[in-house]
Amino acid sequence: MLRAIGKRDRDIFEEVWPEKRKIVLKLLRQETVSQLEWQDLFFGVHFVCLWDEKGAAKIYEGLQQDIVEFIVQAQSKVQAQRGEQALLATYIVEWRKFFTQSNYLPLPFRQLEQSPQVKPSSSSTGGSSSNAGGGNSSSSTAACASTNQASSSSSSAKASTSSAAITAGGASTSANAASNSNTAANNSKKSPTEDSPVRKLMLDSWNKHIFRDIKDRLQESAMKIVHAERNGDAYDAQLVVGVRESYVNLSSNAEDKLEIYRENFEKAYLKATADFYRLKSAEQQQENGVLAYMKYADSKLREEEIRAKRYLEPSSFNILTSRLVKVLIVDHLNSIIAECPALIRDYETERLNLMFRLLDRVVDGEGVEAMMGDLQRHIKSAGLADMQSASEIITQDSEKYVERLLELFNKFSDLVHNAFNDDPRFLTARDIAFKMVVNDTSVFKMELPTSIANRGVKYTAPESKCPELLANYCDMLLRRTPLSKRLTSEQIDARLRDVLLVLKYVNNKDVFMRYHKVHLTRRLILGTSADSEKEEDIVEWLREVGMPADYVNRLARMFQDIKVSEDLNTQFRNSISRHDAINIKILNAGAWARCSERVSVSLPIELEDYIPDVEEFYKKKHSGRKLQWYHHMSNGTITFVNNFGRYDLDVTTFQMAVLFAWNQRQHDKISYENLRLATELPDPELRRTLWSLVAFPKIKKQILLMEPTAIGSPKDFAENTMFYINQEFAIVKNGKSQRRGKLNLIGRLQLSTERSQQEDNQSIVQLRILRTQEAIIKIMKVRKRMNNAALQAELIDILKNMFLPSKKMIKEQLEWLIEHKYMRRDDDDINMFIYVA
Amino acid sequence: MKVTIKSWTGVASWKWIANDENCGICRMSFESTCPECALPGDDCPLVWGVCSHCFHMHCIVKWLNLQPMNKQCPMCRQSWKFNIH
Repeated sequence: MLRAIGKRDRDIFEEVWPEKRKIVLKLLRQETVSQLEWQDLFFGVHFVCLWDEKGAAKIYEGLQQDIVEFIVQAQSKVQAQRGEQALLATYIVEWRKFFTQSNYLPLPFRQLEQSPQVKPSSSSTGGSSSNAGGGNSSSSTAACASTNQASSSSSSAKASTSSAAITAGGASTSANAASNSNTAANNSKKSPTEDSPVRKLMLDSWNKHIFRDIKDRLQESAMKIVHAERNGDAYDAQLVVGVRESYVNLSSNAEDKLEIYRENFEKAYLKATADFYRLKSAEQQQENGVLAYMKYADSKLREEEIRAKRYLEPSSFNILTSRLVKVLIVDHLNSIIAECPALIRDYETERLNLMFRLLDRVVDGEGVEAMMGDLQRHIKSAGLADMQSASEIITQDSEKYVERLLELFNKFSDLVHNAFNDDPRFLTARDIAFKMVVNDTSVFKMELPTSIANRGVKYTAPESKCPELLANYCDMLLRRTPLSKRLTSEQIDARLRDVLLVLKYVNNKDVFMRYHKVHLTRRLILGTSADSEKEEDIVEWLREVGMPADYVNRLARMFQDIKVSEDLNTQFRNSISRHDAINIKILNAGAWARCSERVSVSLPIELEDYIPDVEEFYKKKHSGRKLQWYHHMSNGTITFVNNFGRYDLDVTTFQMAVLFAWNQRQHDKISYENLRLATELPDPELRRTLWSLVAFPKIKKQILLMEPTAIGSPKDFAENTMFYINQEFAIVKNGKSQRRGKLNLIGRLQLSTERSQQEDNQSIVQLRILRTQEAIIKIMKVRKRMNNAALQAELIDILKNMFLPSKKMIKEQLEWLIEHKYMRRDDDDINMFIYVA
Repeated sequence: MKVTIKSWTGVASWKWIANDENCGICRMSFESTCPECALPGDDCPLVWGVCSHCFHMHCIVKWLNLQPMNKQCPMCRQSWKFNIH
């Protein structure tokens, strides 16, 4: 029975196949195949496989012959072409045809998939290309492959056919196995439905008989087309696409379909691209200069991205881009970056933006970093140069200073916005540079003692005067001044916000707060605030920008206190009818600046009388409290009458006391010495007060005159310098002396005496020392153990809203705290501090 | 020539009149506050006893609340009565 069938096996194949083969050939040639024929083919294949043990292998073998034959024909057609374009075109046509068929032809042969006889025949074309690990001892692996086949086949439980399978499999693969050594092992892993063996056979054969021979030519031609396209010549993109497609589809390596493509086409494409632009970019740069080159590089990068989408697989895009970036940008990095400073200087935002976009493609960020450095250097140097060139004005005029500074800020912020799209890295660079400009001490500085030891002030560390000027500017906006009158409420708000913006960059914020407080004190005492609501607004804003709470609370406290005092004043005026010209401001000393230093003065008789009344009134209101007069802060309005006219003058109490010395002897000249006896003012205060009366700025006629007249400063008053009332005194307006008028002679109300101004600066430092100690203890209490670097970092973080503690100060305070047993150093590690409870 | 005063604003600050520098309870200066307060002045007032001793109000109230039976001045042990002026 078996033999009978076996005998008929051959016959069946021989009988059926020649007819079917015609259909196959038709299919391959893309000739019309009728439905019947198509159906017949299915039947024939099935029939042979069913009745012929070795049928599958035989069909496979027959099919292979036909395919190879067909391919060889196609090859000769392709090879016959001379021109590269023609070669490519012919190849593409043939390939397309063949490839289309590779989707149809396998269908009738599905039956073969079931057969173990043909499975091993499927093979990757990977081995055909040069990448297959070189001469990877193909003979030994081939041997190995055949044993694999044997084992896999024998385990397939068709014992009767196993020997035939081996021979058939061996025969069918022998052609491939020679070139392809490593796929047998893969096959056992592959799922049988992965791909049809016939399709594989087709593609493998194509690869083997055409592609391998001419792929280098094809690739070359494709690259030539791309090259021509890059040069702007006419081209047929489809040719290149076709070549790529054959690379991708010819791979039967299921794990890495793109392997052949990557190793050949992509590699060649990358190399061609890099070579092309290496040459072009150098040429472009040399011919048109770096600036034009940047534009070129940018447009080419875009162009190549689009081209890559046409010609390359998506997996290649990034590789191509990085290669292009390397050739177009990184290789020219230095010459591009060299242009940056000049562009920044000239505010060429468009070009900078282009440069930024180009350099931002460079992976390690080297170029962008260089740009940031340039920006930072430029802001710093341009900012400082601007400040220095205007130093005459801006050191005197805080309004001009702040406005100038803001102008700079806006300019640079615009630059960062327009050129660098507000990239955070550039914003940081801008901030760093702003900080340097604001805190620079070369234009103006204030001297602060670095340490207050028992030995006294050692030496001074200069700090920027910026916070002082900012505070002055604030004062001008908040006080009733020509400036604040000129501006609308919104404008003032905007400017105050600007001040806070600048303040953000200031290191020594405590100095700002100190001056702001002093100005606020003046405004509240003199009642010169332009808008009390704004006063309180800015206090809240200061809180919002992170000013330390205790600073801000103290300011808020002053408003509260002044309200309490107003109520008290109302009660006082109601209680005593005859004092309608007298107001009192009774302050809570704790809330205000420490100006407890009492200055003695002999008040005019009229005022002297009121003092006990006020004290009596207050005692009734608050027992257990006593009043301390701050006459250096009190002030009033006097009516000054001379032969020419009658004037109301706002004066300080000291000025009042001085002027009253002439009330009994109007035409006398009084010596400095005698004035001191009459007013009982301390020397510095008397000098200052007299100076404000003989040389008040910006008025034509002074109220007091002196002898000798050539005295340049209050320090030059001698004991016998004589002073007398200017009988010709008048308020001059528009060049005309007025008979009536009002004049403010207070100027800047002195809140502290001369001596304490020095102490002021010292007290800033003293306060810093305490804050530093306090902060160190606070940190150590939580951390218990901390090394020096971490402690310093945290310390700066805590203190930065007030001031930037110097390394020296931190060190000194650490020493002090260790000496006083608040903490100690670790025995083993000198940089480790330990909190001592 | 004649100078006359049209108006005048006198500025003064007030201080506690205490018989001591420091509060006998918290040992803080009367010019400053009791340990619980942040700002000196009206918010942290001083009070006087009939015995004439004076303390931060917050301090003495706390002290008195700790005395279950007889409320005494912590300084002189006389029974404590607020001296209302």
